[in-house]
Amino acid sequence: MKLTVGQELPELIKHPTTRQLVQYAGAQGDFYEIHYDQSYATSVGLPGVILHGLLKAAFLGQLVTEWLGDQGTMKTFEVSYRGIDEPGRPYRCRGRVVKVDGDQAELELWGEDSGGNRTTVGSATVEMKG
Amino acid sequence: MSSVLDRLRARIGVGEAPVEATVEAGHLERFAEAVGDPNPRWRSEAPPTFLVALAPAMVHLAEAEEYGKGWLNGGNRFEYFEPVRAGDRITATGRVADVYEKQGSSGNLLFIIFETDYVNQQGRTVARLRGTAIRR
Repeated sequence: MKLTVGQELPELIKHPTTRQLVQYAGAQGDFYEIHYDQSYATSVGLPGVILHGLLKAAFLGQLVTEWLGDQGTMKTFEVSYRGIDEPGRPYRCRGRVVKVDGDQAELELWGEDSGGNRTTVGSATVEMKG
Repeated sequence: MSSVLDRLRARIGVGEAPVEATVEAGHLERFAEAVGDPNPRWRSEAPPTFLVALAPAMVHLAEAEEYGKGWLNGGNRFEYFEPVRAGDRITATGRVADVYEKQGSSGNLLFIIFETDYVNQQGRTVARLRGTAIRR
């Protein structure tokens, strides 16, 4: 796979549900109530239950690994959570190549809510196989 | 509030007790299924964020809970050195790397930076994770 600066990764659209948040809470072992208990979530000032930041990170990880396939490996992966996301709304994962240096490339990654706001931003460095 | 900050700052650099866990194929499968990632590769190999599920990556420090009313995850940074596969025995060692307070738009926020090193059964560091936990 030949990488060029500006190249976009094929986008990944996820459709998280409250059921998925419960499933993820169990799989990760993160039982913080804001991810499945509506009344608890509203009591701490949230509009309702919200996605785990790390679930959004996992979505972006899926975006990158699906695109990379066996052509390369991820060396670093960084995500920053800028906004909350609620289940029942599509979550759009996107990315593009921002730098290519030999067999290494840097990616810009982001997750968008249904209003087009980048609620998660991140980056990754990947090493391509020769 | 400053006393909470002082107490937490005293923990900077102090390592937590290591946590050992085996990467189980069933756990990999449940994790990938929860994420909704159908790649068959994850039946035997750990997907990018799996290590957080294996051992605590970001400790919700009990003594920080006097501060504010809830936790937020600010961000995570993973560095990968070696692949992690089903059957690997991983030792995770975490430490508080930094604690500081910041003025937010609706009051003060407390930031706790937590680092975890993951070492496999061969003594090789497979990954390092840095997480930012926020009390608000």
